[in-house]
Amino acid sequence: MCGLCGLLGITHWTETSAHSAAFTGDSRKTLRAERLHRTNLVNAILHPKRVRISDFQATSYLLSSPTGKTIVVEDIQAVWGAYETLTGHNLDPLDPEYLKILDQASK
Amino acid sequence: MIPVNIITGFLGSGKTTLLKEILQKSEFNDTAVIVNEFGEVGLDHIILEEVEEGVLLLESGCICCTIRSDIQETIRSLQVKAAAGTIPSFKRLIIETTGLADPAPIVSTIAAEPIIRNHFRIGNIICTLDGIAGTTTLNTHEEGTKQLAVADRILITKTDLVTLGKIKSLEKQAQGINPLAQIGHSNGTNFDVSLLFEEDINDPSKRVQEIERWFDSDRLADLKDHHHAHAQQHGLGLKSFVIAFDEPIDWTVFGIWLTSLLHAYGEKILRVKGLLNVEESSTPVVLHGVQHIVHAPMHLERWPSEDRRSQIIFITKGISEDAIRTSLTTFLSLAKRMSGPEIPAVKD
Repeated sequence: MCGLCGLLGITHWTETSAHSAAFTGDSRKTLRAERLHRTNLVNAILHPKRVRISDFQATSYLLSSPTGKTIVVEDIQAVWGAYETLTGHNLDPLDPEYLKILDQASK
Repeated sequence: MIPVNIITGFLGSGKTTLLKEILQKSEFNDTAVIVNEFGEVGLDHIILEEVEEGVLLLESGCICCTIRSDIQETIRSLQVKAAAGTIPSFKRLIIETTGLADPAPIVSTIAAEPIIRNHFRIGNIICTLDGIAGTTTLNTHEEGTKQLAVADRILITKTDLVTLGKIKSLEKQAQGINPLAQIGHSNGTNFDVSLLFEEDINDPSKRVQEIERWFDSDRLADLKDHHHAHAQQHGLGLKSFVIAFDEPIDWTVFGIWLTSLLHAYGEKILRVKGLLNVEESSTPVVLHGVQHIVHAPMHLERWPSEDRRSQIIFITKGISEDAIRTSLTTFLSLAKRMSGPEIPAVKD
């Protein structure tokens, strides 16, 4: 990420660490713990699609296809567009078949 | 942060009348106005120019994605002029859309543009609804229905020209489409300015009150009793429903789910508003969004009632309550199974 992007970057609404006024108490995760948790969850969600995500220096995420093709994304919102680019398919979170697989895979 | 109010509403529903009225009030002295008049002759511009120096007429017609850079440029230009002293500084910005415009791209411009979002915030979206022709508009014009669906406040106009029975019937129809919005009345000169413009979710002193309005028990009971399982099917496929969860939810997986949903179906999720009991916070978290845009989560000092459930209200176009509930439940269950002392690695 260049300095200018970092300066003008947008804090995503999903990040609790960036919205400390909204998330109170001891149960709030640290930045690293939150990103690790998010990475694990996205990996579980994308596992049936054979796509993986990893955290890069707590600033970006790397989304990788089974062939190793990788896209760098800034936040969770950008993951879904990058997924389409990598796979050529849309991820449909309402697809009953996909949800069934997700449900079975995590048991 | 300067609040931006959007005044929307179908053709002839009274947007300009509302604007003219409020601009005559002293509390709106420090207001800049952006007018986007459909067609080549901007009559609104002539009327409003006499009232407010900050009125600008955009060159192109309808506000939509293709010209939202006009809004962006206009807001930035207002900012620069105010900073340079060319125009008086202003404390509120009002954007009047055309009668056919979709207000969502304006929200998107203000919420997503990196410079604008640091100086401006979205205030209430106000939709005027013609007391005489409102029913016809909602039954036949998708644009008018969508404008109503994304609004925070609905102002039924021309109430001095119709019967009370007709107003009540229109109110019921409007509430069926958008159960979240507060409804006011106007006969052209008499309306609650504070409710329309000043009381919004961003004001911490009014936040609990606004949340109470969202989750007003009578209103939710109305949804349940009259529309079967919190859902209503309209001619244009709009549905509104509430999804509730008893247990605190994992905010991270909720964010993953909602971003993926909005990426795939953003145009069909007209509004989402929620009060969430999340694992990551000891106080309730307020969430609200318009189509693809979700605003920063907000803190609420206390629960408005004894009810500690997470409640999320959706207004969708053609997406069923079952589909949303099943999907979110699957994602939340997945997170629950993964939580614990050890997070299981994903098998390759």
